[in-house]
Amino acid sequence: MSNLKGKRIMIAKPGLDGHDIGAKIIALALRDAGAEVIYTGLRKTPGFIARVAVDEDVDAVGLSLLSGSHKELVAETMRELKALDAGDIPVFVGGTIPVEDRATLIEAGVVGIFTAEMRLDDVVAELARRLSPEQAA
Amino acid sequence: MTATAKSMADDDLALPPPMPRTPSGIDVPVLATPEMVRNPDPGEPAQFPFTRGIFPDGFRGRLWTFRQYSGFGTAEESNARYRFLLDQGQTGLSVALDLPTQCGYDPDDAMARAEVGKVGVSLSNLSEMEILFDGIDLSKISTSFTINGTAAIIYAMYCACADKQGVPRAKLTGTIQNDILKEYVARGTWIFPVRPSMRLIADTILFSNDATPRFNPISIAGAHVRDAGSTAVEEMAYTLANGFAYVDELLRRGGDATKFAKRLSFFFYVHMDFFEEVAKFRAGRRVWAKILRDRYGVTDDKAMHFRFGVVCGGSSLTASQPYNNIVRVGIETMAAVLGGAQSIFTCAYDEAFQIPTEFSAEIALRTQQIIAYESGISKTVDPLGGSFFVEHLTDRMEDEIVKVMDEIDAYGGVVRAIEDGWLQMRLAERATERRRKIDAVDTVIVGQNAFRRESQTDDFGEVFRLDPQAAAKVIEKFEAIRDRRDNAAVEASLDKLAAAAAKDDENLMPYLIDCCHAYATVGEMVARLKQGWGEFQEPVRL
Amino acid sequence: MRPLDRRALGRALSRIANASVAESLAGMQGTSPNAYRIGMTGPPGAGKSTLIGRFARRRLDGGAQVAVVAIDPSSPLTHGAILGDRIRMDHIADNLRLFIRSLASRGANDGLADNIADVLATLDSYPFDEVILETVGVGQAEHAVRSLVDTLVLVLIPESGDQIQAMKAGMLEMADVYVINKADLPGADKIAREIRAVLKLKQRVGASWAPPVIMTGAADANGIAALDEAVSRHQAYLRNSTNTEEVQRRRLEYHLKSLMIRSVAEILARETNSTAESLHAAYARVVESLRKGIGR
Repeated sequence: MSNLKGKRIMIAKPGLDGHDIGAKIIALALRDAGAEVIYTGLRKTPGFIARVAVDEDVDAVGLSLLSGSHKELVAETMRELKALDAGDIPVFVGGTIPVEDRATLIEAGVVGIFTAEMRLDDVVAELARRLSPEQAA
Repeated sequence: MTATAKSMADDDLALPPPMPRTPSGIDVPVLATPEMVRNPDPGEPAQFPFTRGIFPDGFRGRLWTFRQYSGFGTAEESNARYRFLLDQGQTGLSVALDLPTQCGYDPDDAMARAEVGKVGVSLSNLSEMEILFDGIDLSKISTSFTINGTAAIIYAMYCACADKQGVPRAKLTGTIQNDILKEYVARGTWIFPVRPSMRLIADTILFSNDATPRFNPISIAGAHVRDAGSTAVEEMAYTLANGFAYVDELLRRGGDATKFAKRLSFFFYVHMDFFEEVAKFRAGRRVWAKILRDRYGVTDDKAMHFRFGVVCGGSSLTASQPYNNIVRVGIETMAAVLGGAQSIFTCAYDEAFQIPTEFSAEIALRTQQIIAYESGISKTVDPLGGSFFVEHLTDRMEDEIVKVMDEIDAYGGVVRAIEDGWLQMRLAERATERRRKIDAVDTVIVGQNAFRRESQTDDFGEVFRLDPQAAAKVIEKFEAIRDRRDNAAVEASLDKLAAAAAKDDENLMPYLIDCCHAYATVGEMVARLKQGWGEFQEPVRL
Repeated sequence: MRPLDRRALGRALSRIANASVAESLAGMQGTSPNAYRIGMTGPPGAGKSTLIGRFARRRLDGGAQVAVVAIDPSSPLTHGAILGDRIRMDHIADNLRLFIRSLASRGANDGLADNIADVLATLDSYPFDEVILETVGVGQAEHAVRSLVDTLVLVLIPESGDQIQAMKAGMLEMADVYVINKADLPGADKIAREIRAVLKLKQRVGASWAPPVIMTGAADANGIAALDEAVSRHQAYLRNSTNTEEVQRRRLEYHLKSLMIRSVAEILARETNSTAESLHAAYARVVESLRKGIGR
């Protein structure tokens, strides 16, 4: 079993999308894999998310988006992180992300895109790999 | 070609038959026998407790309403789509609204900018609704609005729009979802705290009973809880519990149950376990009628009628091998018909990952038409009634539904359970459990966790693209209307609204309609109400 | 007041929260107590986080720069945690004079978190006027948090009657201020009476601070104002009466204890994870060193 022990991971819901069950399932799955999870709740602005990520000094930020506004909101969150000298905090994305938008997000620097049909263990394993010291080095 | 066929056959051998339990965990007998049925006589349709339906002739007199969800981008684009759908034989319109309109933000608000026109049409003020229904006679169509947090405002706008068309309000038919309780649990477009929200809902229902008697002022929805991951039993139990919470609120406000209960309607998802879905609706009808009679003393048959619409598809559809979804929606639609739905919405097969194309939307509508006109299942009332298995499962579903409702009561009722975040936490746990079962292939989803192939996606040709300028156009129109309208009249109408909101027993509907006529915006009305009522604070518990 | 370097502070707190005993000792610098510390404790479901959010808003409005440290329990099985307290303080999170840090309790079972003494010491080297510490809320956190804060607030709700019974054994009278939260629920007056009775009974002879019992509710601004006022009054009281040496002694004692507990946990983890030898051999070796006397 992949282990995220001691990792601090933020799961955030940017924008107005109110479908939070996917975000909550991921939060619980990460917790069960040993992570310390900060879940923001609904309707957070990119600026707010970046500030919390900095204050909490998280190891990664996960954004859950199902309203079709992923391109704008992901880019804005990454801009806000950079503005706070936190551009090094990896950002991953989950939710409804059309296939044709994925390349754009990866190019923008998103480290992973997790869709609803991925197995939870695979999501955890992929994150653990991304956050391992070898990967960061 | 042969290689594909072979690998699929191998895969097939690897999986045992499904577990003999419904997804809600009810045991399915090898063979159902008469002793398993509580009451050997399933009763008559249109007679208490309505297990076999609420109409004596089922669908023979009138088929269900074919309803398709649409509306996106600008009011102009949506208007064009509606006219197309009405020409195609659709009998009811379904309006999807964008998130800013649903959450009470104007299109120029910083919170709204990324979302204008994205998941539905932007209706920030009456002028947009006038465009939306341009050339469509509101007395001739039934319109369903998927709107909750701002339902009272959109309903007020619809009344104002009818006034402008010269259509008497009494002729309006349609539905607003207006079910705030499930928003706190599963859909998230809440605005105000629970208690003032309940007041607003009572206002719309009480007003509508008199002013628009053919309009359904609420559609109490289990669909979203289900789609988030609850079982069929929980979907029905949570929804009925919410329904009775509204009944309590309406009675507290002096409503007459015999009158308002006739305009309460419900809304569910249909997922894939065919018999459990059929039994869910038969049991739900029974529980609703029994409690209305036994706890609330309602005696009028019509007031005990459990009327509901359904969506076939939702989270039972997959992004993997999406053409399989056409089959799923077909099966679910049959369950909806055999369960006695009054209106059916069929999802397009590509809905799991994009806004449906005209092609996929057409197949969704044709699915209903094939079942209505070719399959023959609508020709007799409740054809499954009297089946040992269906009657047994209906009994079992009823028991389980009542059990969950009792648990909520024991916690202190739905309002308390929601304010504390208890129901939300239960749902998150259940959804996680469901995911784990799918991950472990305890629950088989064909094409997703079993019977996969090399390339899991299919080629669709055209993909619907939102006009990238849509949001800019909406904002441009929004600024124009603010320049054009009489701002003093807007302020005056908003002041009156705020004053009425400060009193507990004043019905806000007439004030909201006045605000709409003055072209006050959704964001302005919501801001005024927030000043007095505050905002909901999400009680996240995980 | 100089502005916070939030990125630096955030990182410093991570470093210190993840530090081993050796790293903690190496990084230890003689920071003197700086910020005034307020502890908020009480059973789960008492509404501590929400109350802190509303209380902190008043302190911020008064011009203070405030840090909140909120601790949530770690699962002993998976070590995972949901750090969910700060979401209840969202309405004040836009204030740049506020800094909220969520911590998981990790190995600690005293209602606080593993390296909490070091975390608080780190905050002392940043320009905060006040630090509010929220305990886990399970078990009996009062004792440990008492050692670390200046003013201790115990938050109860009408439904915590049973807990009151359990606390009469000596925990109840540790707080300086008592709050009956959700006071609109039935039974609020009864529990307030019970607490007052216990406090009267236990009131130390000659003590000049009489702990107030304050009622607060979601819709009631007066309750929060009363809490704000009570804390300030206690603050003033301490300024005149506190034996600073005694406070220092208590904090040092807690710090030493926690360093030793962490050392033991580190030794255990190291020895029992060792694959080179059997658990029996590790056991024998640890017992041997205990016989010699650790720390003697």
